[in-house]
Amino acid sequence: MSETFTIKIDGRECVALQGETVLQVARREGIQIPTLCDDKRLDPAGACRACLVEIDGQRRLQPSCAWKAADGQNVKTHQSSPRVQRHQDVLVSLYMSDHKLDEQGLPVETPNGNDLRAWAKDCSTLKLDPVNAPRVARPGDKNPYIHFDPELCVLCARCTRYCDEVEAVNAITLTNRGSETTIGTAGMRGLLDTSCELCGGCVDTCPTGALIEKKSPKTLPEQVTKVRTTCNYCGVGCQMDLNVAKVDGQERVVRVTSPEPGTTVNDGNLCVKGRFAYDFIHHKDRITEPMIRKADGKLHVVSWDEAIKFAAEGLKRAAQRHGPESVGFISSARCTGEENFLMGKLARAVFKTGNVHSCAAT
Amino acid sequence: MKSFGAGVMSNSIPEIRELDFMFIIGSNTTEAHPIIGMEMKIARQRGARLVVADPRKIWLAEHADVHMQLKPGSDVWLINAMAKVIVDEGLVNQDFIDKHTEGWPALKANLEKFNLAEAERMTGVPAADIKAVAVEYAKTRKAAIYYTLGITEHAHGTDNIFSLANLVMMTGHLGVPFGGLNSLRGQNNVQGATDAGATPLYYVGFQPAQDPEVQKKFEQAWATDLPATIGKHLNTMMKGIEEGSMKALYVMGEDILISEPNTNHLEHGVKELEFLIHQDIFMNETTKYAHVVLPGANFAEKDGVFTNTDRRVQRVRKAVNPPGNARPDWQILCDVARAAGYAMPHYKNAGEIYAEIASLAPRYAGISHERLDRTPMGLQWPCTSPEHDGTVYMHKDGPVKGKGSFIVTNYRPPVELPDEEYPFNLATGRVLYHYNAGTQTRRDSGTMAKVGECQIEVHAEDAARLGVAEGDWVKVVSRRGGIKARVWLSGRVQKGHVWMPLHFTDSAINKLTVDVGDPLAGTAEYKVCAVNLLPLKDKKPAAAGAELEAVRHPQA
Repeated sequence: MSETFTIKIDGRECVALQGETVLQVARREGIQIPTLCDDKRLDPAGACRACLVEIDGQRRLQPSCAWKAADGQNVKTHQSSPRVQRHQDVLVSLYMSDHKLDEQGLPVETPNGNDLRAWAKDCSTLKLDPVNAPRVARPGDKNPYIHFDPELCVLCARCTRYCDEVEAVNAITLTNRGSETTIGTAGMRGLLDTSCELCGGCVDTCPTGALIEKKSPKTLPEQVTKVRTTCNYCGVGCQMDLNVAKVDGQERVVRVTSPEPGTTVNDGNLCVKGRFAYDFIHHKDRITEPMIRKADGKLHVVSWDEAIKFAAEGLKRAAQRHGPESVGFISSARCTGEENFLMGKLARAVFKTGNVHSCAAT
Repeated sequence: MKSFGAGVMSNSIPEIRELDFMFIIGSNTTEAHPIIGMEMKIARQRGARLVVADPRKIWLAEHADVHMQLKPGSDVWLINAMAKVIVDEGLVNQDFIDKHTEGWPALKANLEKFNLAEAERMTGVPAADIKAVAVEYAKTRKAAIYYTLGITEHAHGTDNIFSLANLVMMTGHLGVPFGGLNSLRGQNNVQGATDAGATPLYYVGFQPAQDPEVQKKFEQAWATDLPATIGKHLNTMMKGIEEGSMKALYVMGEDILISEPNTNHLEHGVKELEFLIHQDIFMNETTKYAHVVLPGANFAEKDGVFTNTDRRVQRVRKAVNPPGNARPDWQILCDVARAAGYAMPHYKNAGEIYAEIASLAPRYAGISHERLDRTPMGLQWPCTSPEHDGTVYMHKDGPVKGKGSFIVTNYRPPVELPDEEYPFNLATGRVLYHYNAGTQTRRDSGTMAKVGECQIEVHAEDAARLGVAEGDWVKVVSRRGGIKARVWLSGRVQKGHVWMPLHFTDSAINKLTVDVGDPLAGTAEYKVCAVNLLPLKDKKPAAAGAELEAVRHPQA
């Protein structure tokens, strides 16, 4: 269906499909081009200028994220073009002059990573005077999940474009002008008082950690182990990464992040429940011990052996006294497939009844 | 499913953004299935046409090209009228009908009575809209239908689905990519629970329980004798509890006293049970009457699989340990089986249990934990061998059951209609920020900050007539019970209709609802019941939680 042709990147012949951008071709070929404002889920913005490349016949450097590949095109990245490298050195330095730096003079690491930091390490940066742009956050925003630090924002507009193009609620937008430009809301209200649905896509897409999750503001990416799993809320089956870290000596889920866009059924997207509503996992109300109701009418903690024996005998007694049809097994759409299978097996093979159902009917 | 052989999503989630036409009926997608809602919004932004049929002005309706704001329970009228338009306009796919279906002449004859003028009167949807939408659906190749509980949670839920299936088959939107009839399942593993055989009708993999061959196969595999008949539906079991014929119950991971309809009556029966096991991660209403409580593990604490709404089997992986002495539920089930005298195999891990599932059910034969670990997109059943890639869309070579059946459907009014004493139509549903009975989401500060208490959506004119304003408390009473809620003038409901979310256990909405089940599926009528609203003027706005306790016996 798609027409293919070849282009040359840094002297290498690369196959391209009709409609692809130079950046897409380069990525597939494993050629690294730095980006800040690029997200596969969004239309190219060409805003951050990090991905500029030299293209034969073009007087100016062009953004590879938006520039369409064409047959026979000759492209040079910073790997083969001193001009592009010089551009990157200056650009990253300009970004850094308006960014929080650590003691080594690099853009700070954040709980959400920082692509600017990685990029700066690859460049010969210049020492520029700090800009101290008068950019503001939203004072008084009481939303429980999303924190915005304007000092880390590079105005790539990934968050606002995500809010428009993917979540389609347009809760946040670029606000003000010039050096005061920031990520704002209508009337600079807190997110709870806007159309925001707290999906956290803005946190997910932010490349510099200007947007982070409020619940784990200190935990850095290298301090967590990610475990890929399936969300336990609705039936969409979003893939998510549980971020596990030691808290007071105990392994705890401290954050949920989404997989790389384009790799799973949810394309890197999550909703408010999947991304943020995980407090229940380690909640103090969890039942932690088996219990039996004794003669005083109250539940008492017992050993597993005692509880299991009591449970099995109670069911057997009812089945013997009133017949297998009097015993029922309610399984759960919340539990795993294996567990539902075992509930069916328990009902049929052990207690000889087909009375097994889950809330699956609804 | 009787129409064409599988009551699941026929097509896949990733197809949505390529569609040209979407018909969403009885699904508040952006709130109940947010990420599918996102895909629909992406499709919409790419130029797909969106039609939403829903009594409420849901969020998606604001994005729709056409919002058919039908009267609750009038779905059969709407769908059949659309079908009649398609016949009248000569837009049926006769080739598909001839090759792949049966029962067309009878259906066609029955459609005669569903004329547009009458349809407008019955559904409240303008005839011109019904006609235009029907024509567009029939003419558009990449056109798909999505539905969920707004269609099924009625006493006539299966009629609604049969009607939709008729529409899909008569236009040939089946067995093709970017089409189909797509049931969006509500819970993480609601598909997987049925798939795995936690249903009175089937053994794992939809193998009929009353089929002697199937019974023999499982007797051999499990080395024991098995019941020859099907068992009772959930709804029937609940009736049995109320009437006293059910004596013992093992409940895993559900709060039957919150989730089941007409819970006042049920609670009485549960109290009388001889033996009740409750296995869960939190205490709930059901725990109050349990004789034994077994602490299970949540999804972050155990291994296994969930099957999502597009038949996608995906891994669940243990990230942390369960708290205290809590244990993975599969281990508990095995122990109970052994203590009851059955030689349940000593599975070393959940993967070994899945291997048994795959060995017994041909449609999952190609799936294993090892293979899923290599497949980040999951595997969509049927997946019949390790070489099989899974099934992106079903019915490719004609309906799975051979010939698709057109099933004649006729309108039946809801079981309970408003009258003088109970003048409002109550429907129930979900909000984005909470999940079912709220056992998880009500324990999160953020979701509670968004929606922290039980609200009832009321039309502004009705509110004015009752003398209540936004934020006032009212008592909502039905023939079966009463609860308190705060008035919310959302602008979403029609006059004479009210709507409430079901997430607030202390407002136990199912004390109000009707426990009349669909005769085929056993699904309860959660969506339509008659209520009255009594203003609680003297009641000061209370803090969420404690003061929201249900008001029982409102007639006493």
